Amino acid sequence: MTDLWDQRVSAFLLSPSQFLATTTTESFLHELLHELRNDKTNDQFKILLVSVLLEHPTILCPSASVGEETALELLSVFSHTPQKSIVLKCNVMLAITSVIICTSCLATHTKTAEDWLDLLFQTIQDTNDYRCGLSQQPIRATACDCLREMETCSPGLISQKLEPLYLLKQQETTVLHQSYCLLYTLGLKNAIRILTNQKDVTDLEFKSILGGNEGFAWKSNPLELTLLPINMLVQVPRLTQGLECKELKSIMSSLLEESYLLTPISQSALLRELVEVVAMVPGLSPTLFKSQLLRLFGTADVSLMHATLFMKEMFTDSLFTTEDENFLLKRLVGTAQHPLLRIPEKLFYMECILHFPENRPISSSGEESLPVLVTPRLAASLHPTIFNDSATMLCRLNLLCLVHLEANEGEADKGIGFLIDHIMALLKIVDNDGSREVVVTSFRALFIFLIYFSGMEELSKKMIDKLCNMYSRHSRLAPNLIGLADRIQEHLDDPVWSVKLLRGLQKCIIEMPPLQLTIHNLSWHLKVLKRVAKEGQITQRNTIYLLLNVLINSNLCERGNWRLGNAVLNVCRNLLEHPSIDQVFIELADLLQYISIQYDDTDIKDHARFYYTLLTNLSWEKLMGVLAKSLEGGRAKERSHSAIMAESEGIASNLTVHKTNRHVLQLIKVQEKATQSSSESSSESVEATSEVRDWFEVYQGQFQTPGFGSEVTLRYNLTHVKETDPLFDKVFTICLHFELKDSNYAKVSDIHVPCVFRDRKSPEVKVKLKPSQPYPTSLCVSAMFTTQDGRSWHSRLPDVSVSFPEIFLPLPLPPNASCECREQVFERIWEATASGEPDRSAISLFCFKLEDERLADLIRTHFQGFLITDQQSEGSWKVLFFLPPKCHMLLKITQAEDAARVSIATDNWELLPFVNSYLQNITDNCSSTVTDG
Amino acid sequence: MSVRALWVVSHEKGESGKVRFSRRFPTVEFRAKSLAGTQYVAVPEDRVIPQLLLTELGLVDPDKSYVEARDDCARQHRSPAVELRLDGPGGRTLWPVLTVTQGVLILACLPLVEAPPVPRPPLPSLASVSQGLALLSGLQDFLCGPGGKPESDVLASRLAALPSVLLQVCPLGRPLDTPPPAGSVPASVAPSPGGAQKQPAWKAGVHRGRAVVSVALTEKVRSMQYSKNSQQDIWDVYGMVMCKCEVEGVLPNVIVTLTLPHNGSPLQDILVHPCVTSLDASLLTACSVDENDGSAFSGPYKFPFSPPLELFRLCSYTSQVPVPPILGSYKLKAEENHLKVNVVLKLHESVKNSFEYCDAHIPFFNQNLMGSVEVKVSSGQLEVSKEKNLLVWVLGQKFPKSREATLEGTVHFSGTVAGPTDPLCSGLTAYAKLHFRVPDLTLSGCCVDQHSVQVYSSAKPRIVTTRELVSSEYYIWNSTGDTPVSSGLMVL
Repeated sequence: MTDLWDQRVSAFLLSPSQFLATTTTESFLHELLHELRNDKTNDQFKILLVSVLLEHPTILCPSASVGEETALELLSVFSHTPQKSIVLKCNVMLAITSVIICTSCLATHTKTAEDWLDLLFQTIQDTNDYRCGLSQQPIRATACDCLREMETCSPGLISQKLEPLYLLKQQETTVLHQSYCLLYTLGLKNAIRILTNQKDVTDLEFKSILGGNEGFAWKSNPLELTLLPINMLVQVPRLTQGLECKELKSIMSSLLEESYLLTPISQSALLRELVEVVAMVPGLSPTLFKSQLLRLFGTADVSLMHATLFMKEMFTDSLFTTEDENFLLKRLVGTAQHPLLRIPEKLFYMECILHFPENRPISSSGEESLPVLVTPRLAASLHPTIFNDSATMLCRLNLLCLVHLEANEGEADKGIGFLIDHIMALLKIVDNDGSREVVVTSFRALFIFLIYFSGMEELSKKMIDKLCNMYSRHSRLAPNLIGLADRIQEHLDDPVWSVKLLRGLQKCIIEMPPLQLTIHNLSWHLKVLKRVAKEGQITQRNTIYLLLNVLINSNLCERGNWRLGNAVLNVCRNLLEHPSIDQVFIELADLLQYISIQYDDTDIKDHARFYYTLLTNLSWEKLMGVLAKSLEGGRAKERSHSAIMAESEGIASNLTVHKTNRHVLQLIKVQEKATQSSSESSSESVEATSEVRDWFEVYQGQFQTPGFGSEVTLRYNLTHVKETDPLFDKVFTICLHFELKDSNYAKVSDIHVPCVFRDRKSPEVKVKLKPSQPYPTSLCVSAMFTTQDGRSWHSRLPDVSVSFPEIFLPLPLPPNASCECREQVFERIWEATASGEPDRSAISLFCFKLEDERLADLIRTHFQGFLITDQQSEGSWKVLFFLPPKCHMLLKITQAEDAARVSIATDNWELLPFVNSYLQNITDNCSSTVTDG
Repeated sequence: MSVRALWVVSHEKGESGKVRFSRRFPTVEFRAKSLAGTQYVAVPEDRVIPQLLLTELGLVDPDKSYVEARDDCARQHRSPAVELRLDGPGGRTLWPVLTVTQGVLILACLPLVEAPPVPRPPLPSLASVSQGLALLSGLQDFLCGPGGKPESDVLASRLAALPSVLLQVCPLGRPLDTPPPAGSVPASVAPSPGGAQKQPAWKAGVHRGRAVVSVALTEKVRSMQYSKNSQQDIWDVYGMVMCKCEVEGVLPNVIVTLTLPHNGSPLQDILVHPCVTSLDASLLTACSVDENDGSAFSGPYKFPFSPPLELFRLCSYTSQVPVPPILGSYKLKAEENHLKVNVVLKLHESVKNSFEYCDAHIPFFNQNLMGSVEVKVSSGQLEVSKEKNLLVWVLGQKFPKSREATLEGTVHFSGTVAGPTDPLCSGLTAYAKLHFRVPDLTLSGCCVDQHSVQVYSSAKPRIVTTRELVSSEYYIWNSTGDTPVSSGLMVL
């Protein structure tokens, strides 16, 4: 049992959506709560169950009402849990709080939320811990945490309870004082923040918040939930000047004095709250913090250091002298490279240096700009070395680049020289067959460096020489080099550096001794040349000579490798588009002709011949037109020209299937007109009695035929979604593909539809589902189609959910079977299931309140096609749902005095939760369904 | 000041990542949703987390030399926070995911962004980031312990204990404390007596039993020696003081004083534990970033504090010492098929000649496996590991009287099997690495006098102080080959 739940819970936590495909949220929630109420299971097991609600309350409680019910259930679990089960109780408390907050019970001020708050407050006031001593402490601590979270999510809630909270905080001498202290401080801060919204605050009003001892502030809650903490990114709200702050000041002092007793993380939280308070109250001076500063300046704790920087940012020179500022920055530089700190912390400190809040007026927020105080001398110790891990190295390099960019000339030259030495050292490691990680890191370092310094003529030449030199030995670096050229071009307006690099690479390939042009290397070189051919500023004559040379003087043509041939054509494709093509016209024509005759692969030959024809017959403008159109996705005719061409962006755009992330089409369920009545006039049907046949046997016999009754057909209209690109107004050759989200159904085959036009009637598609387990499901649907311009597209459709009643089929009997036959079969199945045959059978009962006529209406609306007998006069009905492959759900509905009883029998008990929620659903909504019908 | 979710993911070689533990904080998620508005990006299901994380950390497809999503040079990995791309490039991103990697474990958490989400706020403006970092560091210590590599069953039991640990330190996504380091349960603790004095939240109870205060000072020395005129040798020293105070009382006062010899260079970059109650401003003034002007404060360094129950690092410092403890020279000469090796180590006269151990490791990379080794040492023994292409020179407890030891000879690489490789050590670039420990010595001269430890407590405690010097990354580079540039303490 426990093992099974272990598996279920971990499956749920790993992927709630996959898990819930096999069951409903209601039934899972129901089972969870049921198990939680079970007195026999142990605490550990219950904690596991609670964890599901604790982590995913919104999935299990999709609405506020379910949330409230669940919270109530948990509350009863909480009160029935024995006092010694401390850990379980704490977990349940957290779960209740999570449910109440996340399902908006708190925001909408429900009764449950109110009761829960009262209970929490009582708990924290009960400092005797039910006279159970220390063991109950965790409960109180958890109650404080819950209250603090509720106050955070609904700011101001405890703003009128500050006096009792203050007393509690003062009295508490156990470790719990931290919890009280944090709760009180948060309440105090929010109360003051509420006051800042008010125009003229009197001394009395201001004083009254400290002495407040009333209920929870539900209504007077003007603070939004989306309350940002006060910092330099938001406007600081301020209280009116000149308020009497003596009492508040002494409270602040005592909070600060005791801050030492809090854990470092909580201390940092407390300090931040207090900083916000001081920032809002003009009567409080930032010098309050002075006494703590020395202790904080020396701290090894990252959260405390961060809080100190927060003070610096908020109070600048009203708390920190220029000396302090210098000192703090030096400390940051020191900590950013301290051998005893961890790497993530050091990286964080380096970020702090880049965003150091200086006393000078802050220019622009957010931008990574260097504080004026960070000089090359100061930053020298942060110089990157090859012994650094890659993140540290890149971070230091970036910082140092910024430093030398700002530095004055003499200093900068020297500094940049060191950085170059560093990058050269990195490249040397790459050259010595450094690992993939080293290669990637080195190229990232190059990128950072070039972003800042690519403009320096001499430098960039040196760098390019080195890279080309390396490439001649390691052609596998081609994708890294191409990536670098692309990224630099994207990030800088000036493409010069990239062009220089590519020119260098071209030269390097052309000058390579023939021995180095192995097949393996050649494919890398062709990739580079393809990229080089895109640059209008680079002459391409030598590229063409090289290709010709290679093809003529090697056995490549005879070997006829398609891949390589295609790679050569890729280069040619880009060459065709080159602006100075007329200078190399003859050479390119020669090359193409040579390939079209000599290359031993028909496809390559054909392509080459086609390019040759284009080149020799079209003017450059026309050629450009043909090639360029394919990129923009013009009309289908033009596309077909370039579609024959070798792989390039243009062709790729036509041959690849484009993906659109927006929905284009959707499936809309066809509303069934009244289902054909199964109770046709008995005169036409065969009389059961006359043939004396055992209809049950006949019925059972039918299942011998393979595939009998195993399918449900659902009808949908395939339509456009409301707003799409006009491009998609007419789509053709649509192929709908269905993916199942669970394993309860057999694979659904693809459906083909000729076309869908926005302004025409939408076509109907029939989706045939073959359940192995008739549970509700949902289908992921995707469509491939072609637009008018001839491009192919792939697009997701909104998921199609198949609800439980959609899988219902009427009893599958031959159409000539009479009512009596149906009833006979019904009764036989009922008897069997009621007596426990087969062993998965179960019976159940469902009752609901309804007036007489309404019941008849309800039955007509929902059960019409499934009625076996209809004795409205006697107030009794029999209904049978057949669910493929071979499940039955039988209902006997009777009208009792003031309620309707539905007896349920089924041969598959796992369907019961679904039928329950189905019945719940239709009886809940009966008033609306009645009016609809 | 909260985290939205927390994960522990493991990735064994050749396997895809696996979520070993995860915890989501729905109330924080609820806030994240309303704070971010239309920019809100939900946390994806655990099933997809490992792949997303490993892609960002460059750990997927190890057999492919270039994968754009992983290796793009414009994607900068220079921050403690990464962004997870949920729908591939250009799609929605989850940021800032803080990560800590230790061995096969990746710890990650997603701090709440309490600022307008666009433009992306700088990390230092988010309070949750440092708290997330502190939480992850604590988790790392809790899961991995001091050794750093727990056995799989130990790790499993620690992971199983995580839910109850989080119940205490981060019940609703708001870190309250860091998890206790593994195996740090103090011996004899009694519940707090509950007087007028408030019990510190970082101290679960009070000590009962014999009063003992132990203070251990460890100094580590790093060095890069090149024996070249063009390249300056560098070395530095950093120290830490570990304390364990078994003293009675809710908030007992202890003062530990560090002293330097009268001409000692000042301790720099002092970082102290949060339990230190106050600090004299002059203690903090010396900083390695500054130039030494000789006038700086040089002790005594007083650290008043009230100790927690467990072992803790009271303070750490760095120091600049005038000479390295061992000065080495390393010369390699390549001759047909063999290398001539010459290593000389000199122990500085100020250093006590009494080691616990002292070894020099001399590896040879990018060569075939060793054949015959004809090497003599003037002191100690030589161990040869042919399958690792490694010479280990065990100098033992003492240098000879002359304080100088020599290793000399030839190493043949006659084998045909390639030995270990290292991209850094190509050609004649090679190093010897020293490992040593000297008890009862510090290079800075810093010491904790047993009598200077003051404890204000009812019972007079026994006081134990120790000190030691340990090597760390102590390299001597071959002076005949190229040296990798290292600009650790370069002066511009």
